[in-house]
Amino acid sequence: MSTTFLPCGEYHQSYHEDHAWWQTKFIKGKMILLMLVLFGGIPYMADSYWISVCNQVGYTVLGALGVQLLIGFCGQVTLGHAAFLAVGAYTSTLLILEFPWPKFFLDLGLAYPISILAAAVVAGVWSVLFGLPSAKVKGFYLILTTMAAQFVTVDFVITQYISQIGGRGQAFSLPPGTIKIGPWVIDSDLKIYYMMLVLVILLVAAVVNLLRSRVGRAWVAIRDNDISAEVMGINVVQYKLFAFFVAGFIGGVAGAFWISNLAAISPEHFPWFWSLWLVGVILIGGVGSIHGTIFGSIFMVVVMELLQMAVIPLASSYPKLLMDFLFIKEAAFGLAICAFMVFEPNGLAYRWWQAKNYFNLWPFSY
Amino acid sequence: MDLLLMTLTTGIMVGGIYALVALGWVLIYKCSGVLNLAMGEMTLIGAYVSLSFYSMGVPFLLSLLFSLIIGFILGILTERIFLDRLIGEPVLTVIMVTVGLSFFFKGTVEFIWGTDTRVFAPPVFSIEPVRLGPLIIGEVYLWSFVAAIILLVVFVCFFKYTRWGLAMQATADDEMAALSVGVSARFVYAAAWAIAFMAAGVGGTLLGNINGLNISVGYLGLLVLPVVVLGGLNSVPGAILGGLIIGVLQNFCGAYLDRYFPGGVKEVAPFAFMAVFLLFKPYGIWGWERIERV
Repeated sequence: MSTTFLPCGEYHQSYHEDHAWWQTKFIKGKMILLMLVLFGGIPYMADSYWISVCNQVGYTVLGALGVQLLIGFCGQVTLGHAAFLAVGAYTSTLLILEFPWPKFFLDLGLAYPISILAAAVVAGVWSVLFGLPSAKVKGFYLILTTMAAQFVTVDFVITQYISQIGGRGQAFSLPPGTIKIGPWVIDSDLKIYYMMLVLVILLVAAVVNLLRSRVGRAWVAIRDNDISAEVMGINVVQYKLFAFFVAGFIGGVAGAFWISNLAAISPEHFPWFWSLWLVGVILIGGVGSIHGTIFGSIFMVVVMELLQMAVIPLASSYPKLLMDFLFIKEAAFGLAICAFMVFEPNGLAYRWWQAKNYFNLWPFSY
Repeated sequence: MDLLLMTLTTGIMVGGIYALVALGWVLIYKCSGVLNLAMGEMTLIGAYVSLSFYSMGVPFLLSLLFSLIIGFILGILTERIFLDRLIGEPVLTVIMVTVGLSFFFKGTVEFIWGTDTRVFAPPVFSIEPVRLGPLIIGEVYLWSFVAAIILLVVFVCFFKYTRWGLAMQATADDEMAALSVGVSARFVYAAAWAIAFMAAGVGGTLLGNINGLNISVGYLGLLVLPVVVLGGLNSVPGAILGGLIIGVLQNFCGAYLDRYFPGGVKEVAPFAFMAVFLLFKPYGIWGWERIERV
């Protein structure tokens, strides 16, 4: 999926313009409008329930962004990304709870922001560790090693060892008030929403910029054909590992962000299902497209919420449905992936691209 | 010494079941090139179907037969509805369809049968252990092993001596050549899925007899992956050997390492082993090495 066609009469005169952030004034206006809606409109219009749905969307975007980078742009299929989310979440939690912070830091509310950064770096390094086999293997074999990352990290290291730190047993609970950025205590859905927005915008911008650079072009070359990329003089191993680092980094931020929404974190928050869910999100949204990540996240979260809403009225006549909703959700997710792969293999982003081109080229679409 | 011998035999017995399920996996991969991640859920379906029949009072062997028949039908349906349209698509697409299938199957199984552990009641095999010389083996393990071996032999004979089996071998070897001598590839794909579903069902039923049946039996489907990687993705003898090795490895880790690393060593060890093994021998013991050109 290449770039969108520009409307009639708009054209670029330099290479620089061709790669600009805002291709036309109209696009810039659209983005400003989008920001206004995101920062002002949604918090004003939506109630607490829909804000929390938005937060879930944001979390999914953050998680799927790393997966998109690895699968969609570097061609390294990963089925264990939840492990890195878990590493991020646990690093952040442990730092907040166990690290002897000077009082000064706590008063200024620096503990959580610093822990997010630390979590991101730790998750990135952990991801590189499990990305090392990518130097030697690829395709299906790499999928297996990333699965090993999931089982080793979440089911073994975190469940058996990390969870025992501090003698709390299975879950770490975060006392209210510990999650604090500067003077703001993150305690309501709305505050989480704003934090989510800032993180999503920062990271999406960072990834898009990275993809416009030498690094991004190298990744795309590796995705398209790693042998030719090597022939062209790209250090394949180095760039692959860097992709793993960035993906793990984003995953770490996502995990560290999500602890603000959880009263207690436990390994059950990062199951293998979640890794597959993230891959499903980018497949439904469109592989190799940042738009796709966001569309996929919105689609999956909102469809699941709507499914839940549809189930609740039915539940009065079939109480079993409500209890088994989780299973219905699983089956629906599976069917959705199959259906998208069979009927819409380019994902939602492709339809978006088509629609945009239709309007840009209207009325002379030849 | 006793512990060593016991662990070894238990490992081999359980490994027989792994080998059986891995055989189904390798078959699908060899014939149609599909890397199947839904194997665990296929074992679950087979196991639950035979358990349902058994609890309705059908004799065990007959209920196993019913589960084979249903597995056969489901296998053909799955191939026809989903996989048939994806021939020639990229690897990731096909893998993710099987992941989607695994969720669909799992959700359906949980919806129909619930998540509580169920047992075959009355027990199919007596709890009295069998003594073979110095060895003491649970009867379940012994029979599972015997059944797995019988089925393995049946499958191998099927491939070697029947017309259909030969057609499948031909397709696995060279699809174009097979098509040109009149082998129907669509038939072969469907047959591969049907056989894999049946093998998985038997494996699941046997495992369900050992520890009771719940959703975690589907974990076996993931365990198949280290097995086939170890043996080489497209090697039937490799699958059998890999199954035995992984079974033994798992039981040894459970018996000896559990003291030092309490908890889930037994579950994680095959995967950790596989990740390391891949670094040194990515094509497994008897797998074909793929040579890539630009």
